Amino acid sequence: MTAAIELASLTKVFGATRALDGVDLSVPEGSVFGFLGPNGAGKTTTLRILTGLARPTSGYVSVLGSDAFTASNEVRARIGFLPDVPGFYDWMTAREFLAFAGGLFGLAGTALTERVSVLLDLAGLAGVKGRIGGYSRGMKQRLGVAQALVNAPRLLMLDEPTSALDPMGRKDVLDMLASLRGRTTVFFSTHILADVERVCDTVAILDRGKVVAQAPIDTLKSRYGASKVLLEVVDGADELAGALREALWVSSVTRGEAGEIELVVSDDAVAQREIPAMVAARGIGLRHLEAGEMGLEEVFVQLVGGEGR
Amino acid sequence: MKDGFDSFVRKEAVEILRTWRIWVLPGIALFFALSGPALAKLTPQILQMAGLGQGGIEIKIPDPTFYDSYGQWIKNLSQIVLFAIIIIYGGLVSSERKSGTAVLVLTKPVSRRAFVAAKALVHGVFITVITVIGTLITWALTAVVFGEAPGAALWQASLTWLALALFFLGLMTLLSVLLGSQAGAAGIGLGAYALLAIATIFPPMVLLSPAGLVGAPAAIAAGRAFPSVWPVLTALVGAVALVAWAAAAFAKQEL
Repeated sequence: MTAAIELASLTKVFGATRALDGVDLSVPEGSVFGFLGPNGAGKTTTLRILTGLARPTSGYVSVLGSDAFTASNEVRARIGFLPDVPGFYDWMTAREFLAFAGGLFGLAGTALTERVSVLLDLAGLAGVKGRIGGYSRGMKQRLGVAQALVNAPRLLMLDEPTSALDPMGRKDVLDMLASLRGRTTVFFSTHILADVERVCDTVAILDRGKVVAQAPIDTLKSRYGASKVLLEVVDGADELAGALREALWVSSVTRGEAGEIELVVSDDAVAQREIPAMVAARGIGLRHLEAGEMGLEEVFVQLVGGEGR
Repeated sequence: MKDGFDSFVRKEAVEILRTWRIWVLPGIALFFALSGPALAKLTPQILQMAGLGQGGIEIKIPDPTFYDSYGQWIKNLSQIVLFAIIIIYGGLVSSERKSGTAVLVLTKPVSRRAFVAAKALVHGVFITVITVIGTLITWALTAVVFGEAPGAALWQASLTWLALALFFLGLMTLLSVLLGSQAGAAGIGLGAYALLAIATIFPPMVLLSPAGLVGAPAAIAAGRAFPSVWPVLTALVGAVALVAWAAAAFAKQEL
């Protein structure tokens, strides 16, 4: 599968701050790709570089096969973009803005009128006659998504597209993004894990300017899910938990409400041998032992929630 | 591939008609065009009355002519209208950067150079239209008030001033690219005007550079010939060069 976006060793330095620190990323064409990271991780900087608004300090950036900063109008004509806080001409109506945006892509006449009407419906703004200056943040965000689609882009890039939306608006936008799967490459940044789990097939996690993981969501979850163990014993759970905390192959031990023990282990093979042995050595009755699957949230917390936070 | 230059030019033009821009510069110019001829006619009488009111001093003032009306119009253009241009256009590009609208436009098929060029073009035409309409009104009202209004002096003076206005539009376009602050750009623009005025003490600058346009419109409006066409030419070439510089600088900036 070809890549719609390709980043290699991408760095961006602002004075003494290294906003991006050797980012490698490959976004497959046709995928719905979630670019996940906590606030300040470098997501917006990456998107600004991808859209040619900023220049990388070093590294390779390819968008639809072209250099992002020097991309020609032909390349930009195949890209749709929504910034984190979209700025509109307040004196225009939504219809006028979409017509203006379409005009910038060379659209005109009936094709433009029809496209604008469809997008106004999609954004839930068909009946709104007022000027954009009077819109709520959510209305502006929906209009922002609509304008990013006016050229039926091959690559759609969105920076935090759902952050200003209410639950219904969020659902609508996510459904719309999911519906583009296979036809349009969707690359969107977010810090909302549920959004990524809901629509993305692939995800990259950015932390402090570095990509700490990139994989299809299922792969990512199973990769980290294999290191989680759920353990339920008849009695002696406190003693066992204390012993497990001392073990070098155990990363963390948490106790559930019903007394179960949840472990994150660094070595599956050792865990498989040692846990039954430790239970047996203490004469404790084993009720339940299973390898659990981590949710994306847990994967995320494990990857970016380390020291210094 | 058709780019979005035409659409962006249309947006700039419609924006003038739909926002405060249609009221400020045209309002100022229209006010001076409408009031100038009558004020020129009545000024001597007003001064005489003021003099009589202050201890009966009689002030001898020659009868006003159409030259006084032209002078009034040009004086207002050269000071208030020009300063308004400098202040208003200090944010020509930076205001779109600040509001985020530039990001939405420039991630579409509109180059940064086209973005700057479209703005300078539309507002250059806007200033030209304001100048022409204001001059027409001044011309017509002068004919009504004074009974005669030969066109040559008025039009030459107004168009000479227009060259200076376009030069400052170019300068403000550049400053609005280089500086994020409209107030900062306007301050430097006014400083540039002061420098140009100081440069008029050097005769070669008056004859060859845009500095000559600081005083030339008033001289022409008073019926005196200006000895050189170079200030107009250098101002127009300078305006184009400043816009080209602005476009090149904007193309390299990060947004």
